[in-house]
Amino acid sequence: MLCDNCNKNEASIHYTEVVNGVRSEHHLCSDCAARMGITSIGDIGNSDIPFVKFLTGLLASSGLGSEDYDNPMSHVRCPKCDMSYQEFIQMGKFGCSECYDVFGPLLDDNLKKLHGSAEHKGKQYAKAVSDGMEDLIDSNNISDKSDKDKGENISKLNKIKQLNRKLKEAIELERYEDAAKYRDEIKALKEGCANG
Amino acid sequence: MVRWFEENGLQSDVVVSSRVRLARNLRSYNFSPKLADVDAKVMVNHLKEKIAALDCVKGFNQYDFSELDDCQKHAMKERHVISNYLLGQNTAAGFVSSDEDISIMLNEEDHIRIQGFGSGMNIKNVYDKVNKIDDFLGDVLDYAYDKKYGYLTTCPSSVGTGMRVTYMLHLPALTMTNRISGIATEVGRFGMMLRSVFWDNNSDGYGDIYKLTNQLTLGLTEQEAMDNLNHIANQIILQERAIRKQYIASKKIEVLDSVYRSYGLLKYARKLSQKDGMILLSQIRMGLAEKLIHMETEEEFSIYQLMIGIQPANLMLISEEELSFEALEESRAKFIREHLPLIQ
Repeated sequence: MLCDNCNKNEASIHYTEVVNGVRSEHHLCSDCAARMGITSIGDIGNSDIPFVKFLTGLLASSGLGSEDYDNPMSHVRCPKCDMSYQEFIQMGKFGCSECYDVFGPLLDDNLKKLHGSAEHKGKQYAKAVSDGMEDLIDSNNISDKSDKDKGENISKLNKIKQLNRKLKEAIELERYEDAAKYRDEIKALKEGCANG
Repeated sequence: MVRWFEENGLQSDVVVSSRVRLARNLRSYNFSPKLADVDAKVMVNHLKEKIAALDCVKGFNQYDFSELDDCQKHAMKERHVISNYLLGQNTAAGFVSSDEDISIMLNEEDHIRIQGFGSGMNIKNVYDKVNKIDDFLGDVLDYAYDKKYGYLTTCPSSVGTGMRVTYMLHLPALTMTNRISGIATEVGRFGMMLRSVFWDNNSDGYGDIYKLTNQLTLGLTEQEAMDNLNHIANQIILQERAIRKQYIASKKIEVLDSVYRSYGLLKYARKLSQKDGMILLSQIRMGLAEKLIHMETEEEFSIYQLMIGIQPANLMLISEEELSFEALEESRAKFIREHLPLIQ
């Protein structure tokens, strides 16, 4: 059978496409299929694919994607959904919320490359924020706060978290002067929360 | 009740619609790649029960894939009520507002997708509606959320806000002058994606309808993502308008001829392929927007409703039977003859 597209080469890729309820069969040679960007059925019409491929490509090229026994990552599995690291980089998708704890830290650099950041700045989930408030209130013995104070404390809490991360980064990079500055700022903010 | 595709909104000469989609997952269930079908059923039932009890979905229609035939599902997809991904699922259910502006899809690639549609350029308004539903749902459900990563999604490309904001744009002039691929590359640099909505078997887009969508979801707020989208969309709108104006000024009679010819074909053809129908309707849409032709209807007429109307599943729903390819082409021509208003 000849390729539908060029009518020259033997068709080697056959697929059935259902567009808006109408079924049509296609037979393509590998050259035409590659030109159309069709490498497997799953690729057709998925707008997220290039993004995911890019991500998995980055992970694979970092050397952590190899199946070598020596590669420490080849033994990592998510305890909740049993997703393995190999599976994860092949699929480029998470299997459950815990996968983010398991594979997330490895991803930070790549998330930064893709999104420009590895930290959420958008809408905060009300339930998660109230959990965070409880932590803060517990650690600082704050009680009976008005809503306004609560709001202020949430932004302080975020600021503290941000500074903590900067502090860690500064220590890692041996920028001790900056680290001391961040440490003092955190201290001042924490005292601010406790006093009210 | 007027649905979003039956009316024209702001900047409707270029912008067909605004769409917002939020992706949300539950903490306690595995995400779609690791969710067994039996668990998906349990989850869908759990979600249906929880959501049905909420005030915010009062008056919404509820559906379950187990009760729908293929044609009904495809027609929902054609009206943009459900996504392509949901269409491929065995187990799925959802809630749809009576005007089909809001759709809550269950067991999509993420457990929950909350989608809002509005006509014209009005993303903030649509976001506000969707955000409100999200607040209600988040209150009674236990979302997978991380303080660092935000809303956890199946795909790392959506994590953070889990939000995709999209404008559907009608760009006949930019298409005709072969500028789309250049613009698509350009918007890519700003974390956006521009692609055709309708495709033929050779992977060529047709109908001059495109969607412009944000790609970035982490490290920026919802407002920033919407501002970016508006900013880029405005640039594209300006270019499209400038070229239309230039083209009409320099080749008035050619443009008029092509718009009137398209009208004549649509009004008298006895069979029409989907691609031809879309190409001709695109001409009419531009002709109306540029006031080259005028409909006899009192209110502004939205051509996009005909673009949805001539999709196969919708035509089959109307004729109440499965149609062969030839019968589809015949019913498509008939549908347009009956629904395309007269021009003055």
